[in-house]
Formats: sequence, structure tokens, C-alpha cells
Amino acid sequence: MAALLECRGLDVRFSTDTGTVAAVSGLDFDLAPGECLGIVGESGSGKSQTFLAMFGLLAANGTATGSVKYRGTEILNAPRAVLDELRGNRLAMVFQDALSGLTPTMRVGEQLAEVLVRHQGLSRADARARAIEALEIVRLPDAARRYEAYPFELSGGMRQRVMIAMASLCRPEVLVADECTTALDVTVQAQVLRLLDGMKRKAGTAIVLITHDLGVVAGLCDRVLIMYGGRAVEIGPVRRIFREPAHPYTRALLRSMPSLGADPAVDLPVIPGQPPDLENLPPGCAFAPRCTERFAPCQAERPALQVAAADHRSACHLGRVQ
Amino acid sequence: MNAPLLRVEELCVRYPVREPGLFSRDRLLHAVDKVSFDLAAGETLGIVGETGCGKSSLGKAVLQLVKPAAGRVLWQGRDLAGLSAAELKASRRDLQIVFQDPLSSLDPRQTIGEIVGEPLRVHEPLLTALERARRVDAMLERVGLRSEMARRYPHEFSGGQCQRISIARAMIAGPKLIVCDEPVSSLDVSIQAQICNLLRDLQRETGIALLFISHDLSIVRYMSHRVMVLYLGRVMEAGPRGSLFSAPRHPYTRALISAVPEPDPDAASLSHTASLDGELPSPLDPPGGCVFRTRCPLAVPVCITRSPPAEVDADGHSVGCHRWRDAVTS
Repeated sequence: MAALLECRGLDVRFSTDTGTVAAVSGLDFDLAPGECLGIVGESGSGKSQTFLAMFGLLAANGTATGSVKYRGTEILNAPRAVLDELRGNRLAMVFQDALSGLTPTMRVGEQLAEVLVRHQGLSRADARARAIEALEIVRLPDAARRYEAYPFELSGGMRQRVMIAMASLCRPEVLVADECTTALDVTVQAQVLRLLDGMKRKAGTAIVLITHDLGVVAGLCDRVLIMYGGRAVEIGPVRRIFREPAHPYTRALLRSMPSLGADPAVDLPVIPGQPPDLENLPPGCAFAPRCTERFAPCQAERPALQVAAADHRSACHLGRVQ
Repeated sequence: MNAPLLRVEELCVRYPVREPGLFSRDRLLHAVDKVSFDLAAGETLGIVGETGCGKSSLGKAVLQLVKPAAGRVLWQGRDLAGLSAAELKASRRDLQIVFQDPLSSLDPRQTIGEIVGEPLRVHEPLLTALERARRVDAMLERVGLRSEMARRYPHEFSGGQCQRISIARAMIAGPKLIVCDEPVSSLDVSIQAQICNLLRDLQRETGIALLFISHDLSIVRYMSHRVMVLYLGRVMEAGPRGSLFSAPRHPYTRALISAVPEPDPDAASLSHTASLDGELPSPLDPPGGCVFRTRCPLAVPVCITRSPPAEVDADGHSVGCHRWRDAVTS
């Protein structure tokens, strides 16, 4: 099946007072219709900037090069008119901070209705009815009354559900959820994840779930892309990567997470050191300084993504030796 | 068992809240309501619950950083509320805190050496500057930093390093208890494990007691010997880590545990989690009877009329629920 999104050789750079920050480098991946792709990485790994660049939402000092195609049409650095037609309509994004994603001085229902008036040419009355329906689908209690509420009057979980309702209004083909449950309590997180799962199953929406939480990925995603220092270090089916992670960073990340099934008396294995400085990335593998399995080539030469198994690729010199 | 280092008896924290409007009156928000526990040296009590459950207020009230409205905090048998200002200040040497936001809890205009050395200036004023600098250097190295970092400023450090600095400051004067208020919540996954292990190591070395406050059940389970679950300021369930996680009794604890996404694609199925519906009630207007009843799958009429008393077993596992036996068998 043809990919919905095709990202090839994406580079994102930010110029700062002290130099150039390499936020994303040489990123390639596809998103298939209806799939859920997890993007996992720590702060500064480039996971959010990748999608902000795709959607034309980079900060003013940022530039993106490479190619991102949506159904064969180039969207990277596309004219505003092209992006406006796609964003909120075919491509939607939900952010971590739902309060800043909503206009503070406008009733939440009107913000939803505006999307329908703008993209689907609905009348105000029809848009209102559809917006209330969308709020009911995300199980916002007392949806008709909450239509009149301002964002500050809602709890964090309710605001995130409003954002998801807004993102789902035009039945987008792609929903990018950027750490959308990170600020929420576990029970509310479970509600929001169930909503996303429902959109994928019932509406066939392809979902990109950007997160640092491997538990969330395990429950929802079909495939996962692991990023480190702005590059893809591993990509493949979720089950395969959890069972047989090929990259030492992925292995270390899985081991260092406390889980409810582990023996708490045993000390967690930690990943030593700090994440890399994106202004001074090492010439070889960015993870090499923290990697317990590094050997000579790791510091000299950057490993490319190589096939580890069907649909499973990893960027590590170890894989090449074996 | 030894006499507890810390005994908290029926502690209550209330905040006055002004209602909007012309004829407004102050109402009391019951952030913590009759919470009791003991904490022994070398022990970690995990406090877990969701936003607004009162876990941070509880930690601050234990240290008298907010004044409890009722109840007692007995530190080595003495009521902290009865101490004079000078005695309370002296007791601060034993009682320390590490906050969630590592950068904003460090003074940006002080060097790391000044920040970490501050408790020594207060509690050991006779130390010379040189002796103090030596102690700071040794403490920085102990928490995994380099001693030359003492001359630098907080903004030069990452979140994980700032949290190490906070821990160094808390540890330097040899405290007996540290309240850790969400100490790893703002850190990356790979850094969380580093900080958790540092706290565990320091506890093994020094026998320090920890009050470990977090919303993350996996981390609380990793860190704690005993765990207390709060909801709307009340204790729902408390007990040894093993039985609380393997045989949770309160329907709220069970819902919390089942909502934790497990990093296992086969175990984790969203549809199998016991969902907790509804919204958290306003803490200004908590439900009568059992506060959890509006979201409880097992609620029956008695839950509306009567607040469930805590039932404690021989292992010190306590639960406040009229129907916990049904919850366990259902």
C-alpha cells in the first residue's frame, strides 16, 4: 500500500547565538494508512521537531531540508495555502500542553465549530451540532454545556479531550499526538489513549504517537521509531523491538524503565552519562559515549540504518559485525 | 520494631478559598484529611495519587512548610508544632526536601558550591570556608558530579544534574529524613533511573528515611518499602509494597494499577484495563460518605451515607472501603 507520509532525508537546523543546532538529521520513514507509529526518544532527540517541520510550524530560526510527501505531494516548506488546506483537515496535531493549543478568549465549542466552517463549509448551526457530537464522542461530560466553556474552566484531561475532538472533526488521515498524555494522570491517560485507539480502529486514522513512555507505545502502536541525537537509531514492529531490540540504546532504555512486573529489590540498570549536545555532536555514533558495547569504529564512523530483519532496521556497527 | 522516627497523627491541611462574587465567603479546601502514618529510619514510604490528592501538601505539612490545620507531626517523639522558631530551625538539619522542578528550586545567582554549602553555613557555622568547601566537594562527587562544578551556576546544568545538586544540598548536613516531592517526574527516562538509584544508594549508606511522593506507580513501587494511596486528601489504602501491588484491596488502587501502561506489547491491551470513568470531584465539595464513590464501580447506598473506616490487618495493610472484599474477589 502506498504510504500516506513519506519522509526522506529530513534535516532540521536551528541557528542560535552560539552555533547551529542539528535537531534532526537524515531522517527517513513512511507512515502507512491506518497504522499507529510510535516515535520514542528523550528531550532533544528530535521527535517533536520532525513533525513541527513537516507541518510548517518550526520556530523562526529553524530551517528544514529534505522531502516530506503526503500522498505523493511535497509538503515540506510548501506554500501557506497548501498547508492551510491540509492542516486541521487531512493532517491534525495534538500537543502536550492543551491549554496553549486552545485560544483562551474563545469558547471551546466555537473553536471546534470554526474548524468545520473553515474546512467543510458548514453553516454555524450545523457546525455547532457536529461540534457537540464530537465532544460527546470524546466523552466530555455534559458536552452541550461545556460547548460554552472557556478553556481555563476545564481540567487538563478535559482540555486534552477537547483537542482530540477538534483534531478528529474533519476525520483526518493522520493524527500526530505529541506527548499528549504526558501531563495527565494515569487514569485520565488511559481514557485518552482509549480514544486514540478508537479513532484508529473505527475511523482508520493513522496515528503518530510521540512519547518518551515505552509503556504507552506497547499498548497502542504497530511500529516504533526510536530516535537519539536527531537520528533514527531503530525502527520496526513494536512486538519485535520489545522482544529483540537490536540497538544498544533501545535495549538500555527498555532495561532502565521501572515496570510493575520487575523485582524492585534489583537495582535498575542505568544508562550512564547525559544526552548529547546537539551543537557538538560526535563524528561517529551519537550514543557511543554512553554505550557499554562501543568499540573502535563507533567513535570514528556514523553507523547507517541496516536491515536487522524484515521491516526492522537498526543503526549500529555491532549489527554489521555479527 | 524501633520507635518511629516520624509519626504523623490525623494530619489535616486546609486552604481557605475565596469564592468569586460580591457576597462571597471563604470556604475551606480540605487538601489533606486525617492522614496518619509512621516512618522508621532507613525506610521509604511512597505516597501515590493523582493531581489534587494532597500528596504534596502532605509532604509540606510534615516539614511544617505549610501549617497543619489539625493533627500532629511527631519527630523523634516531639511535636513539631510545639517547637520554638529556633528549635524548628535546628530540626531542619534533620528534615530536608527535594522538589520536582530541579532548576527553579536552585537560586540562579548562587554558585553550585554556595547552594550545596548553604545548609552547612546555617547548621555548622563554626566550619571554616576551607572545611566547608571540602565537604561540598566530597558531597558533589558522592552524587556523581565533579568537584570543579562548585564554581558554576545552575543554568549551566541539565535537569538530571540539577536534581543531583538538589540531592547534594539536602544530604550535606546529614539529615535523617528527606521528603522527595516528584523528584524524577520532569526527567528523561534514562536519567530517572540514575536519580532513583542514587537515592537508593544514599539510603543504604546513611540509613536515611524517605517520604517519596510521586504519581508514577512503577517508580513508587521501585523506591518504597511501604506505600500509601491518597484520593482527595484521604488515605484509600496503605501497606507493604509487596501486598499492596500484588493484592491491592481498594477499587481505586486497583484502577490505578491497571491504568499503568506496561512496556510489554503482549500484556498491555488497552481494552483489558479496568477503566475509571467520570471526573475527579471538586475538592471544595467532596462527595459525602466515601469520597471515591462517585467513580467507584462497586459503590452501593452505604457508601453514600457512611465514610468507610480503615480496616488494618496484622501486616499493617489497611484499606478504607465498605466493599473491599468484593473488590478482591470480583
